[in-house]
Formats: sequence, structure tokens, C-alpha cells
Amino acid sequence: MAYLELDNISKIFGKTTAVADFNLKVERGELVSFLGPSGCGKTTTLRMVAGFETPTNGKVVINGKDATNLPPNQRDVGMVFQAYALFPNMTVAGNISFGLKIARKSNNEIKKRVDEMLELIHMPKFGNRYPYQLSGGQQQRVALARALALSPQVLLLDEPLSALDAKIRVNLRAEIRAIQRELGITAIYVTHDQEEALSISDRIVVMYDGRTEQIGTPFQIYNFPETAFVASFIGTLNAFNAEIVDVQQKILKIEGINVVTAEDLEGKKNGDKVMIAIRPERLNFSSEQKKANLIDCTIANITFLGSIVRIQVKVGEINLFMDTFNNPFLDLPRIGDKAEITCSKEAVIFLKQ
Amino acid sequence: MKLFARFLKIPFWSWFWLILGVLYYFLPLYATLDFSLRMERGKISLKAYQMAFADPEFLRTFGYSIFLAVMTIIVSIALVVPTAYWVRLRLPQARRFVEFITLMPFVIPAIILVFGLIRIYSSPLTIPFTSITLMQPLTNFKVGTNILIIGGYVVLGLPYMYRSVDTGMRTVDVLTLTEAAQSMGANWPTTIIKVILPNVRTALLSGSLLTFAIVVGEVILASFLGVPAFGPYLFLLGQHRAFEPAALSFATFLLTWAAMGIIQLVTGGQSQSSGAH
Repeated sequence: MAYLELDNISKIFGKTTAVADFNLKVERGELVSFLGPSGCGKTTTLRMVAGFETPTNGKVVINGKDATNLPPNQRDVGMVFQAYALFPNMTVAGNISFGLKIARKSNNEIKKRVDEMLELIHMPKFGNRYPYQLSGGQQQRVALARALALSPQVLLLDEPLSALDAKIRVNLRAEIRAIQRELGITAIYVTHDQEEALSISDRIVVMYDGRTEQIGTPFQIYNFPETAFVASFIGTLNAFNAEIVDVQQKILKIEGINVVTAEDLEGKKNGDKVMIAIRPERLNFSSEQKKANLIDCTIANITFLGSIVRIQVKVGEINLFMDTFNNPFLDLPRIGDKAEITCSKEAVIFLKQ
Repeated sequence: MKLFARFLKIPFWSWFWLILGVLYYFLPLYATLDFSLRMERGKISLKAYQMAFADPEFLRTFGYSIFLAVMTIIVSIALVVPTAYWVRLRLPQARRFVEFITLMPFVIPAIILVFGLIRIYSSPLTIPFTSITLMQPLTNFKVGTNILIIGGYVVLGLPYMYRSVDTGMRTVDVLTLTEAAQSMGANWPTTIIKVILPNVRTALLSGSLLTFAIVVGEVILASFLGVPAFGPYLFLLGQHRAFEPAALSFATFLLTWAAMGIIQLVTGGQSQSSGAH
């Protein structure tokens, strides 16, 4: 049985459906991210787990116990907020010990646990500081320690890194993941940052317009997006409409060019319209290596993005993006040059429309 | 030198309006102080202060007004803090309505308020269509009158107390703090007492100070309800004495400033609520 189970939950505010028929089973010790654009219902779903919102329909089960109608203070979940939400009137130690005092732990126990938590977040000498004396990253680490101090059944993180700058964000997300693994705590992580979700999660729930688009491991979500939304939201993608011209040979036609796919075409017939996608990094120049599909094109633009170089090519009326790793000796074509690009048949994936 | 150069950079009109403002506020104050020190002809002395403080009526009325002020502050906090908290947390759509209500004392003069209070509470409370009396008129006994005047003062102080508390709550994001406290097992009373109240302390003190100043100097409600408060005492004193009312006015002004100073001392570090970066 799953440790945390969201059974067909929905949330309707007036005439707006914020979350519709959401189902998820989270195993003990798993970190699952809710990923999606603003207003997709990810935070509302998290708040239903926390008890700050009551589902209109469905059940929230935590460790086998129906928590749907339990108030937040009886759910045994820890929460980390985007805006840190440290209590400004309390020191770091005061913040961390807040929940322990409410749980009526002994003074010795509280002191021991506070010290443990400060060690865990690598801030052992910051116990007497006030939140305003800390940087944003430090405040969020204290917020994490505070949420973990009570050893909650589930840890909820609501865009915890959104308010921090890029470098701190990358370091802190690695720290959060390490702590989560070390403690083996079940966690739900809300973010709109795909890179964050891909790097930190065991599984990702991609949400859009209150619905689940796809649930899978970061590898599955990135490499095998099931819907056009997932494909476009995660990473850069070349997506276009195609027509099946030969079911037996698995040949599709895009803008007059034939492309071979490895996708299962069972149930489809010649002339059917499909939506297909190719990741930019799966395309390369045929001069390097020839694959199943060869496409003539014209170089339209070249963008240097640091570790990668993004090349925009024109194939008939359509534009394709191709990513190649940067190296100092890269022999790049010039804008307007004719070229031939290639991709494997496995690179051509189908999307649900 | 740097400071002087910086002063020189301030435009002429800024200085002009600043000086004009300072003169407008401080000249009457200075005049009151100067007048209060000239009770003895041709000599600067504190005689007016000695005489004013020696009057037992001063201590009695001032003590009573302080009692009324403290009670008003307690009732105001008990009424305003949960209201402002709940409006911010659960009823944001009611905020305009509540703000409108709290601003009513600016529109309705105190004289109308006191006549309304007297009109309603000077007759016994009976069960309609029977002769059964539930409560004697509040104006008929001392505790009742105190309740009435404190109620009136709560209304008069409402704009100041509500605005202070509401602003205080806005600056600390009470919603997120409440949710953070609840996620750690805190119930409503614990959340309010341990998290919300300490974080709106400055706002509470500011609201309390303003309420204190209003109550201590208030004349109309106290006169019409016939209570021995400091406001009517000062008013009566001013009708047949010259120097003592000036001395007492200046003394109460100093008292208010002292209270403000205490607030600054007590809450000095609290304003730094944002994080270091």
C-alpha cells in the first residue's frame, strides 16, 4: 500500500476547477515533484495534502489513515514555504523548536533535536540568530530544518527555491535532495522549474489546467513525453503535424519529406494525421554520423548557450532546432549554408493530441 | 564636511517646507511651555506645575483616565486583533466593509455618539411586550457608566487601532505564518498568542498609544456621561485658571512623547524583518 495516496481528488473554487480527478500513490521515502505552469493546480493539490484546502471530492490517505478532513495541525506533515515563513520574533533555534514545544517534548529532547537539525543544515552556530540576520538561502535551510524537526510523515515543499538566485538554488536543491535521501522522508515538491524537477525527483507529475498530463520518472518524462504539453513544457522540442504514408515501413511525411519512426503504428492507417516530436539534441549533422533519417536543410540561425550551441535550420517551411555540445574546436557552419541533418528513427516520437 | 555637503544638496524648497512644518508644530508647544513657566511675575519657575500636581483632583481624574485608557486598550485589542486577523485570513472580501465601519468615528462626531449611547442605555432593557426587566440602565450605576464610556472610547479609537493592526499584519504576511504554525501542530490560540501577536507588537503599541492619547484628553463623552475624567477636569480648570492648564497640557504632551520613546526602545529591533542578502 502506498504511503501517501491521493484518490481522485478535485478542488472547485466557485465556477473554477483548480484540480480535477487527481490520482497519485507515493511510496515511503519517495520524492515526487508537481511540475507545471502557474495556475495548473500544483500548489492547490499540495495544500490539500497539507490540510489548508479541503478537497471538493476524493480522499487524502497518509500512512493508511484517511486525512481528508483532518485539520493541518493534526496531519503530521511538515511544510516548507516559498517565502520561508520563519517566525520573525524567534531565533533560528526558536523556530526549529517551535513544533517540538507544541508537541510537549522535554527540554533536553528539544535541545538535542535542535542541535541535530542545525548540524543537518550545516548551520551549527546560527541558533541564536534572528531570521533577518540570515541570507535567503540560510533562511530556507532553517525553514527546512524546522519542518523536519518533528520527523513528519510527509514533507511538503512549495516552490522552496523560487525566491533565491540561480547559484544558491542549484546548491540548495542538491542539499534538499541529500537530506531527503538521508532521512528517507516521503516528500512532495512543487515547482514550475523543469530543470529543478528533473534533477531532484524520483518521479514527476506534470500538471496542466488542473489535470495530470503525465506521471513518470524524470527520464521517462523527458525522453518519452506522452502529450504535446509535456513535450513542449519539458525542454526545447521540435513538434509538428505529420501524415502516415506507409504503415508497414513506418514512414511519415512532414512538409514533403519522408521520415522513419520506431513508434508502434498498430491501429493506424495510411493517411492518418499524427503529431510527432524530435528533441533538438537527437539531431546532428550527417557529416558526423549518418542515421535512419536524412534531411536537407538551410542554416537559419546559430545561438551560443554556453555548454551547448543551438542551431536553427529551415526544412521547407518548417524550422527545426538542433543542439550540439560546445567545444572550442567546433566547426560551425555559417548562416545560409546548405547542410544535411540526421536523426535515428527512435528519435521520432508520437504525442497524444 | 561630507554631511554639510549633503545638506547643501537638499533643494531650497525642501528646507522651506521642513522649517515651516517644524515652526507650525513647535511654536504653539513652545508658547504653552513658556506660558506655563511664567506664573510668577518676572521670573521663570515651575510653580504652575507644582500647583497643578498638588491638586488631589488632578491625581484622581488622571488616574481614572489612565484606568479608562488601559481598559479601552485591552477591549480594543481583544476586538480588533481577531477581527483584523480573520478578515486578512478568511474574509478578504469583507476588508473594505470593515475598514468603512472603522472609519465611521471620523464621520460621526463624538457628540452624536454620546447622545446615542445615552438615549439607548439610559432606559432599562426589557423583554419586548412584557414588563420583565433584564438589565437596569447602564447610566444608573458606576460600573455600567464605565462600560458605556469604555465602549464609546473603543469606537473612537477604532480607526487608529484597526489601521495600526491591519498594517502590522500586512507587513508580516499573517496567512503564511499561520499556515507555517499550523503545519507544526499549533492550534488557533497558540498561533495567535505565540506567532501573530508578537509579530504585530509594534503595530499594537502604536495603536495603543494613539488610543491612550485620545482617551486621556477626551472631553465630550466624559462630560456628557458625567464621569470624573482628566479631559473635563482640564477643561474646567482652564475656565478659571490660566497657568495650571498650560502646565498640565505640556506635561501630558511629554508623557505621550515618553510613551513613544518607550515604544521605540521596546520595538527597536523588530523593524528589521526582511532577510539579509
